[in-house]
Amino acid sequence: MSKKHEKSGYTWINPLAAWGTAVGNAAAPSVEVPDIREDWDKATGYKVKTHKVGRLKHYIIWPNHGEKLWSRWRWWPTRRNLLHVTGIYNRKTAIAETKILDRRPLYWLICLAFLAIAPMLFPDNMQNTLLTAGTIFGIFAAINVCWTLIIGTASIFSLASYAVVGTAAFLTSWLSVTYGVPWYVLPVIGAVIGLVFGVAIALPALRLDGFYYALLTLGLNELCRVFFTTSREFGSASGGLYGADSFISESWDPMVQSHVGYYSAFLLLLMSLSLFRLINGKRLGRILRMAPEKREAFAAACGVDYKRARIMIFLITSVALGFIGGFYAAQYRGVAFSIFSFDTVLLGLAMLAIGGIGKAEGAVLGTLVVIFLDKVLLDWGPMRHFMIGALMLAAVLFLNNGYFGIKKQFNAWREKKRGEWRSARTEKGGEALPEEATEVDDKDQLYLRRFDKIQRDYLKTLITPEIIEEHRRQPLGQHSEALERVLLYFRRARMEDKYALHRAGPEGPYKIIAFSGTRGVSPRLVDDREFATVDEGYHGVFMRRVHDLMES
Amino acid sequence: MAQQKIFGYANRISVKQGEDITFYVNCDGASEAQVQLVRLIHGDAHEAGPGFQEEEVAHPANGSWKVKKQFTQLGSFLQVADPDNRLAVDGAFTMFCHIWPTIPKKGERQTLMGRWDTKNNTGFALAINPEGRLEFQVGDGKEVDYVTAELPLVARMWYFVGVSFDPASGQATLYQEGVANRYNSLLGKVVPHDYASHVRQTFRFRQKNAPSTPFLIAGSRDHHLLRGDFVSDLFAGKIDRPAICDRVLSREELDACKTGAKPNAAAILAWWDTTAGYSDRGVGQTVFDSGPHGLDAEGVNHPVRAMTGFNWNGRDDCFRLAPEQYGGIEFHPDAVTDCRWEETARITVPQDLKSGIYAMRLRIGPGTGITEEYIVFIVRPAKPSAKLCYLIPTASYLAYGNESLSFDAHIIQPMTGQPPVVTELDVETYEHREYGLSTYDHFEDGAGVCFSSYLRPVINMRPKYRMSSMNITWQFPADLSISAWIRHQGYDCDFITDEDLDREGLDAIKPYNCVITGTHPEYVSERMLDAQEDFVAGGGRLIYMGGNGYYWVVGFSRDNPACMEVRKLDSGMRAWAAKPGEHYLQTTGEKSGLWRNRGRAPQKLTGVGFIGEGFETASPYRKMPDAWHRTVSWITEGVEGEIIGDQGLAYGAAGGIELDRYDLSLGTPPHTKIIAATGGHSDNYVLVTEELLYAYAGLVGSLDYRIRGDMTYFTAPNHGAVFCTGAIGYGQALPANGFDNSAAKVLANVVEAFIKDGPLPGTKWTLEEKQWR
Repeated sequence: MSKKHEKSGYTWINPLAAWGTAVGNAAAPSVEVPDIREDWDKATGYKVKTHKVGRLKHYIIWPNHGEKLWSRWRWWPTRRNLLHVTGIYNRKTAIAETKILDRRPLYWLICLAFLAIAPMLFPDNMQNTLLTAGTIFGIFAAINVCWTLIIGTASIFSLASYAVVGTAAFLTSWLSVTYGVPWYVLPVIGAVIGLVFGVAIALPALRLDGFYYALLTLGLNELCRVFFTTSREFGSASGGLYGADSFISESWDPMVQSHVGYYSAFLLLLMSLSLFRLINGKRLGRILRMAPEKREAFAAACGVDYKRARIMIFLITSVALGFIGGFYAAQYRGVAFSIFSFDTVLLGLAMLAIGGIGKAEGAVLGTLVVIFLDKVLLDWGPMRHFMIGALMLAAVLFLNNGYFGIKKQFNAWREKKRGEWRSARTEKGGEALPEEATEVDDKDQLYLRRFDKIQRDYLKTLITPEIIEEHRRQPLGQHSEALERVLLYFRRARMEDKYALHRAGPEGPYKIIAFSGTRGVSPRLVDDREFATVDEGYHGVFMRRVHDLMES
Repeated sequence: MAQQKIFGYANRISVKQGEDITFYVNCDGASEAQVQLVRLIHGDAHEAGPGFQEEEVAHPANGSWKVKKQFTQLGSFLQVADPDNRLAVDGAFTMFCHIWPTIPKKGERQTLMGRWDTKNNTGFALAINPEGRLEFQVGDGKEVDYVTAELPLVARMWYFVGVSFDPASGQATLYQEGVANRYNSLLGKVVPHDYASHVRQTFRFRQKNAPSTPFLIAGSRDHHLLRGDFVSDLFAGKIDRPAICDRVLSREELDACKTGAKPNAAAILAWWDTTAGYSDRGVGQTVFDSGPHGLDAEGVNHPVRAMTGFNWNGRDDCFRLAPEQYGGIEFHPDAVTDCRWEETARITVPQDLKSGIYAMRLRIGPGTGITEEYIVFIVRPAKPSAKLCYLIPTASYLAYGNESLSFDAHIIQPMTGQPPVVTELDVETYEHREYGLSTYDHFEDGAGVCFSSYLRPVINMRPKYRMSSMNITWQFPADLSISAWIRHQGYDCDFITDEDLDREGLDAIKPYNCVITGTHPEYVSERMLDAQEDFVAGGGRLIYMGGNGYYWVVGFSRDNPACMEVRKLDSGMRAWAAKPGEHYLQTTGEKSGLWRNRGRAPQKLTGVGFIGEGFETASPYRKMPDAWHRTVSWITEGVEGEIIGDQGLAYGAAGGIELDRYDLSLGTPPHTKIIAATGGHSDNYVLVTEELLYAYAGLVGSLDYRIRGDMTYFTAPNHGAVFCTGAIGYGQALPANGFDNSAAKVLANVVEAFIKDGPLPGTKWTLEEKQWR
């Protein structure tokens, strides 16, 4: 086995032989033991190129509050603090500093503030286009945020969201046109219509899975389209139903009208986001995320009543979508059939996919991108639909979960790359590299790895048939220096996966086990091989350890 | 069906004929156990000996016992006696204490103090959250509201922590300040840590106090369907001077409390003075409340006292010098000193039951391995009648009770020079950990275990057991080899235990001519040592049958005599080291550690003391020249040749395991003779650390002449004498070859001489020799 030290004819004399206590091992063929310092002398550097490590402090890090009283603010009426701020000790300096664990509320604030002042920043020549697009964006984003509650949080693949909005919009428009119902009642009536619709689509969701449910809801959407386009009451002749009461007076200046439209849609979006936050961040959202598709049985076994939760989410979002439908009618004085059209559903899906399903920010960003392409870059002509398709395809092909999944995806990719680099650079069981050392708090462990590496390299040269035979003959007691050094190393190993024997009866048989190294966790059986005597067992353990050493 | 297993313990370890003993049994997978009173004859199944032997004894209690599952409360904590619910504060209050957490980032909540019900989420508590931050919480039965400190707690640092809560404004304010000085904590002032954190949060509701919730320190109330109420969320670390006040204390007032000052008396609801109750004889388990209502707290599972407090200055190293610096009480979530099970059966020991080692044997199902339990107890004579007395070293059994070195101690394999051999029983107790640890183990936070009690199943204090790390019998099962030999020889013998000797002193052994010890009487209290010294000085004869005996200073708890305390420190072969300033026993006020370091090296009583240990081989003794002197030549009479003890159940010879050596510099009586000595020990035998001033290469068996076991003999006043075997393995050598071996022969010579009244053999050969040769 050894390359270096197969010097034959060396016989070790047991120092206990003179006493007569060297039972069975008075002398043994062994190997001469070289000086381990030779191995230390050889270990003068890493075999791979080393690089400096470290990350520059490139942003402001706030100090902790220390002696000062830190009064924390909460989101009324919850116990959640304004920001998830916590203090940590910097691992490099041991100095306390403040860390915002979740910066998303800040980003939201900045983006929403930007949306609020956006009309002031619009160029004059684009003012009208952008305000119109902004209004559509607000309404569609509100719809998509509700929709993502169903597709993302509840993971139910429903395509009927626009059907709910459309139905509510048509019915409220019709009521307003026919009975003169004022604009401020329309969203409320829409909400009631949404509730009825919600009940109708919630029930099949309990029985149908993914694809089938998607087909069903798509069919429902189509049914609504056919119903409304063919009904004269709903304006089958004019391509839509118009003439409902609105909160935007036609007597106002067109720019004022556009601005009111924009800000009312913005308000609707804010309401929709609040709803998302209330549901997703609270009990109902957690229950639903515990029971994603195909894991319902597991969730149910954990005590999660997912059916109830799914009906609830349908009812709540349908009410919200109905409300948006009523609002839509009151905003635009009516509604067009295109709300039911297949490309509306597809565009909506594209919005969700681009932004990332299951996240409010995904729904909003996706809507922004698609609306911008569809309604602002009108000059591009049909190309822009091609662009939307390409974006959606790219999101599906290259991103795991839309734009807002990129960070996680990137981190995972970097981790994978790091693993590849490391495995190319490090030796198995070798010394820690500078980049690995950054992850080890107890620097003593770094030295242990160096010591252990050299020790193992050295001991490998001592593993010879002679010492194996010597151990087989006499597992316990005084051994030749070569064997003794190997045994001392084996015995000093850390507890994790350290071998021992398990005895079944009063005098055997024995099996090899390995300790867990974790308090209270029982040892594992290494294999089923049985040893009749304890000495055979000891030798079995020794051979396993020799095997592990030579493998390392 | 659940896995079958049965475990039990008794309320006593030593019972006189005619007295009662109560048994407590926990059983899984069966409702009835087959019970048989047995006398234990021999405990080791080793092929070189007589094998396992027991003798069934007729008793009315034999037959079948109803048994059931019982639960064990793990963890030490303080329970406040508050019958009038004065601490069920509904209004404003402030709570504070000094803490020294050991595993703040445990991943589990650790309650410091409060009246909290985990199951129903009611009450209030100051705690450390799973991420290691101080947290205060109130619960109204539906929801929990809390405030968390800004910075995580650093392990082994002293802090002053507190909270004030005003339900009227909803304001809960946390107070956290580091109070480390140059001595009391892990880190010094060179570390740029800031430990302070003051956070205020406005709560949405106030606490709801359930009348049945107790106020606990270092734990909180929990409930389980089968088990009923118990305590969970246990804290690991020290708490010093906890208190609760009935109003919001200002920042300035808390700043004053940080230094240990008491707040304004009118505000105090309870202020537990953890420094009260110390005397030079130690301190008990009651923590006194110096507040207006006297709400004293009682320690459960022995929270460790006599520990340094937040204000320890590093100069006064004992609570006897400065009790005010010893307010630290150390808590461990895995401590257990009393399982507190429901009684299973109580029996009366018959008047005519011969003194000896007995056990209640319980079997369920197959009746082997963990489906068989022996609850061991020693029967003392109601009146001493024999000449010979076997002193059973129960204190040492406690010290090793349920040791799990094979599983947890990475040093054990280098020590024993072999892979451990574990059984189903070892794995079972290791996995479940309900039966507590030995003084060789560490708690999960790394602190050494200083209390051990027999009010819990002690799985290695039973026949058939072998210590897994060494694969030989150890302590109790090894001592059965001596009692088996005594029985084989037909000597009339009374049995008593360390506990009896500690309670009764010299009176317990005075009636006997000869006292013989167990194989490893390592742990001794001052009363035990005094009694044996007085016994020998008064004409008694002592046979010290082992190695590494009379070594550690121990104390027995006043409030729970079943519980023994030891602190390991300074030097000696020790599994852990007590922290600076924590070297004195809370049970007696004595300094613990080695008797040798207190001026009573074992050599002074026995002639020999610990010198080396090794665990994979053993050697025989060879007669030393003095063996031929007529004062002692009778001892080796009948031994052919010069070799003694070349067989044995522990590594094949009598001279092994732990070895004791003659040493005049440590007080071996000057007229002591070395009859025989072992030699040729392998390099696994190493020198003990108390001998080490400088470490240098070669302090091992084949290179250091001191590493050997000395068989010694000396005479004492009034026909007294002491004979020592000098090695643990001697006892396990006695049963070899059907009790017919040289080790047994030598011992028989000694015992037969020692039990006779009047002068000892060889006492006349005392003149200065005039020799021709």
